[in-house]
Amino acid sequence: MKHRVVITGLGLCTPLGRNVNEYWENLLAGRSGISRIAGFDTRSLPVQIGGEVKNFQPDDLRKEFRGAAAEQDRKIWLGLDAAASALADAQLPRDRLQAAPLFVGVSLETFCLADVTLMAQATESTRELVRQMTQLKAHRRLQTPLDRLAQILGDHYGFNRGRYTNCSACAAGAQVVGDAFRRLRDGTAMVAVAGAADSTLNPLAFGGFSLLQILSTENDRPATACRPFDATRQGTVLAEGAAFLVLETLTHAQQRGARIYAEVLGYGSSLDAYRVTDPEPNGRGAALSMSRAIADAGLQPDDIHGINAHGTGTPKNDVAETLAIKQTLGARAGQIPVTANKSMTGHTIATSGAMEAVASALTLCSRKIPPTINLTHPDPRCDLDYIPEGWRHFAGQTVLSNSFGFGGQNATLIFRQFNA
Amino acid sequence: MRVPIVITGLGMVTPLGNHPREILHRIENGPTAFAPPSRFDGAPFACPLCAEIRDFQPHAQGVGAKLLRLMNRDAQLAVAAAQLALADAGIKPGEAYAPEDIGLFGATGLAGLPLTEVIPLVKASTGPDGQFNAGRFGTEGLRAVSPILSFKILSNMPLCFVSICANLQGPNAIYTPWEGQGAQAVEAGLRALAGGEAGCVLVGGCDVKTHELAFLSLEQQGLFVSWQKHRTGLVPGEGAIFLVLETAGRAARRGARVYAQISGYSLRTQPPDTSRAATFSEIFQELNISSSALTAVVSAENDDGTTGDAEQQALAGEKITVATVCRPKKKTGDLFAAAAGLQVGLAAWLAARDGGRVLANCFGHGSEQAAFILEQP
Repeated sequence: MKHRVVITGLGLCTPLGRNVNEYWENLLAGRSGISRIAGFDTRSLPVQIGGEVKNFQPDDLRKEFRGAAAEQDRKIWLGLDAAASALADAQLPRDRLQAAPLFVGVSLETFCLADVTLMAQATESTRELVRQMTQLKAHRRLQTPLDRLAQILGDHYGFNRGRYTNCSACAAGAQVVGDAFRRLRDGTAMVAVAGAADSTLNPLAFGGFSLLQILSTENDRPATACRPFDATRQGTVLAEGAAFLVLETLTHAQQRGARIYAEVLGYGSSLDAYRVTDPEPNGRGAALSMSRAIADAGLQPDDIHGINAHGTGTPKNDVAETLAIKQTLGARAGQIPVTANKSMTGHTIATSGAMEAVASALTLCSRKIPPTINLTHPDPRCDLDYIPEGWRHFAGQTVLSNSFGFGGQNATLIFRQFNA
Repeated sequence: MRVPIVITGLGMVTPLGNHPREILHRIENGPTAFAPPSRFDGAPFACPLCAEIRDFQPHAQGVGAKLLRLMNRDAQLAVAAAQLALADAGIKPGEAYAPEDIGLFGATGLAGLPLTEVIPLVKASTGPDGQFNAGRFGTEGLRAVSPILSFKILSNMPLCFVSICANLQGPNAIYTPWEGQGAQAVEAGLRALAGGEAGCVLVGGCDVKTHELAFLSLEQQGLFVSWQKHRTGLVPGEGAIFLVLETAGRAARRGARVYAQISGYSLRTQPPDTSRAATFSEIFQELNISSSALTAVVSAENDDGTTGDAEQQALAGEKITVATVCRPKKKTGDLFAAAAGLQVGLAAWLAARDGGRVLANCFGHGSEQAAFILEQP
């Protein structure tokens, strides 16, 4: 028997705000969360802009998550913030969490800069290096294992039915929601928590990405630097953030009288098997991911009414994704509103899929779809309806959300307006 | 399990060899693969040994030089193991299974690089005061490293290289960073087959813990405590393992050789207030193997004195009798994210060789623990 699966809790920590209302208001208003980076010195770097979570001081979180007080990896704090908000939003009794699997998406490991510098200096004497670094372990971590966020959340809230850490790059945030959805649909669990956290806004990660030539270098115009589907787009903009969702079977949610944001209807994933540096140019893998999700949802392509695009603003992604949407939806593709949230949030890498799942759920329950900003010069190769003029009323029943990762991992989720 | 799922291909690249027969022979009768690290000075570390693959030839896998340049050692080992597994199963994407019908679920370990690849960046970014200098980082540091360094650090890359080299386009996910997450990858593959998402899946993982950065991290993670106290403990290893899984029906239809059926599995989280032995017992209880006779156990025991003791306690507590115990980690080292694939793969080989039921324990560092039951269909 297949159970219906619904979203009952949302938590966010984003460049557009640290709560759902603020984020949604900014997204609908078409405000950019991109600015010059304040968190570290970027003056010598080719890229100096990003989507930072502003005024984020995890002091309260340090008090609540005492076991994590020494953590230095910023994405952990962003993740704890969003997860705590999602759980509070769902108002789930704590005892239900013990039987809930936890799915966390992350991407790049954070290396401790001070430790790495120490290593570089001490390579002449490994013995001295080991002595120093072993002494430092009480307050530093050379590399924070990527499962650390899941461990802290798991120990704190008592998630004891599986803690999954997914590192499928930019597809991770969508894959974790997909994994949670499948567990609930097949009755393996009644409640599941899924989300992702990421911050590439530190020197080593940011520097590394800036070498890949996928980032916009328009440092003087941060708010318009990310221009998905625009003919003049230069690249994407890195951002940080976290997004968590509480999912339940419909029966469980109704029994406890939970507020329901939207229903999760389908999930699909695929691999490009093309290049690690570029998406498959015809959108083959992206289209496969979408068609798998549509089939998984028991829908036909005609049943898709809105799309939350991966839409990174890189020259290659936006063309490939447009082709994939046309391939999947056929003649109707041009009539479907397509929003690219990254035009405002920037690219939060692992988090993006989970954050855009939140936006998709909000689209369905508020009946409004956010715009794609900075789209003023239409690209003839990107010829869909990207909502450039501002938010729009959304009359549809379903939203499809795409996430495509570096290396060619693709994931697609489908959400439906909740009707009992 | 409702849909019977079988293992039809084994691909193993380990310090003990690249074929399960050879690896098992070494585990049962041969010397360990342990030796002082050959790529760095291991003397200052509490753990003086590691298990390296000595004769690995990345160029021998048919991977082009351009692609090879982007790959770290984890990825190179992963591609080799995946190709061995597919060849062993007699699967060429596009024949019995379309590329989009083959899923890929794997685990990778802590991001790892030889220090030599990172040091130039950091040295060039260090100011006269010995501290990291943001100005020098952009002007000097980034110029000192290859632009493709990120591809060697991103944890999902090894499996993306597998998909590219083997042309796998199906459902996928990558978990990280320990043995338990390797077991989660096997579980994800089983779920994809049971749910009809894929006709065939590759599951497994890769990990390289034989370089200096890995030793530093393991030391900081407290994994060398046993070495510090007792001068014995787990030995870091390296390797990649992939297994080909199919539904029994599809495997029979294409006339595939079947090593074993995965007839049960259990994954559990060890909460901070629960002992390892208690968690292992819960797993055995869920597998319903209490008071039963097993032909063999692929044990998770290493030399750190804790995992093996907890495992024995749990087996004794459930009154499980075992004819043969195979202890891979005591000869091939701890393969971390690749360890679950090895434990399950060897159990499949043992089930095929000796018949009966074989228990594969995937007990490792971290909170996630698992076990699988393999038997002749």
